[in-house]
Amino acid sequence: MSLPSATPQSVRSVNSQQQDTQSSNQDIKQSAVATVASPFTPTTSSTTTTLMGPPSVAGSARQPYTTYNPQTPYIALTPVTPRTSEVSHLQPSLQNIVSTVNLGCKLDLKRIALQARNAEYNPKRFAAVIMRIRNPRTTALIFGSGKMVCTGAKSEEDSLQAARRYARVIQKLGFPAKFRDFKIQNMVGSVDVKFPIRLEALVLRHHQFCSYEPELFPGLIYRMIQPKIVLLIFVSGKVVLTGAKVRREIHDAFERIYPILKGFRK
Amino acid sequence: MSTYQIYRNTTLGVTLQDTLDEMISQGSLTEQAAGKVLSEFDRAINVALEKRTNKKCNFQGKLSTYRFCDNVWTLVLKEFTVKDPSNSSNSPPLHVDKVKIVACDGKATPT
Repeated sequence: MSLPSATPQSVRSVNSQQQDTQSSNQDIKQSAVATVASPFTPTTSSTTTTLMGPPSVAGSARQPYTTYNPQTPYIALTPVTPRTSEVSHLQPSLQNIVSTVNLGCKLDLKRIALQARNAEYNPKRFAAVIMRIRNPRTTALIFGSGKMVCTGAKSEEDSLQAARRYARVIQKLGFPAKFRDFKIQNMVGSVDVKFPIRLEALVLRHHQFCSYEPELFPGLIYRMIQPKIVLLIFVSGKVVLTGAKVRREIHDAFERIYPILKGFRK
Repeated sequence: MSTYQIYRNTTLGVTLQDTLDEMISQGSLTEQAAGKVLSEFDRAINVALEKRTNKKCNFQGKLSTYRFCDNVWTLVLKEFTVKDPSNSSNSPPLHVDKVKIVACDGKATPT
């Protein structure tokens, strides 16, 4: 039992020793090149390169959450000012808004499916009528309880207008539909930072927020606490932000993640 | 075994029904027998369209409205054109302003 476990450990230690000696022998540039060439190098070497590789400015900008952020980085941050102006013109664009509303009356879904246009109803598959309108281009799920989910709108106003139009369609079919408790449940934004990102290094530094399983999903999942937004960050530099109830949260989350991503530029 | 009766509205089905009606009025066929003939027609045309045709044609149009209810798709297409690839190119493709397509599941048997 103890023998097989002992052997790989010893092998591992020998390996790490070799790497240590190698990295100490090589100068900074060479080791940085080595990590670029093989992105899945063991944790020890990649952390050392992230510490050595990027300039101190990026290193400080990378950690807006840590408490020791202030004085010294502020001096270093001054040359960064053009970068912050870069943030302002780069803004996430809204891609999808999900809203719900209660129509306040029981609905006969079969009648809706038969009478309304652009409706699908397959009770074996899904217990709601799926209805679409062209303007604003959206899809609604209409349930027998009278509750409705409206998806696909690109702005808050569109989502509200679309939900109203669906309610009007239902009303025209003869149901006493109201329009109660309209609420935006989720907003999704996306943005392209236009540079590739070292996800392996990012997950090491921000492991408490990150989950990165490239075998399951190619993007890094970053769960920001404040604002409470989930970000999908891809190697290509494309970022998806989701979980927002208001537009502001998407923008805030991007303003917080952008300096971090800059620090992990490839 | 029950089969779709939608093909009774085709030219073939309509003429068959006309003939059967005529024969019934002449007294040479009972209504029961005519019903049997029609159900045999349903069966035969379903089998024939499924197994004995391999002709394909292309059509296109802009989807105006759609509906899916009771496992039947109803599609209304506008600016509809049919192109028969086997047809010689000199005849223009058939063009209609509006077409309604009713499509049933080919594999499932209707109840």
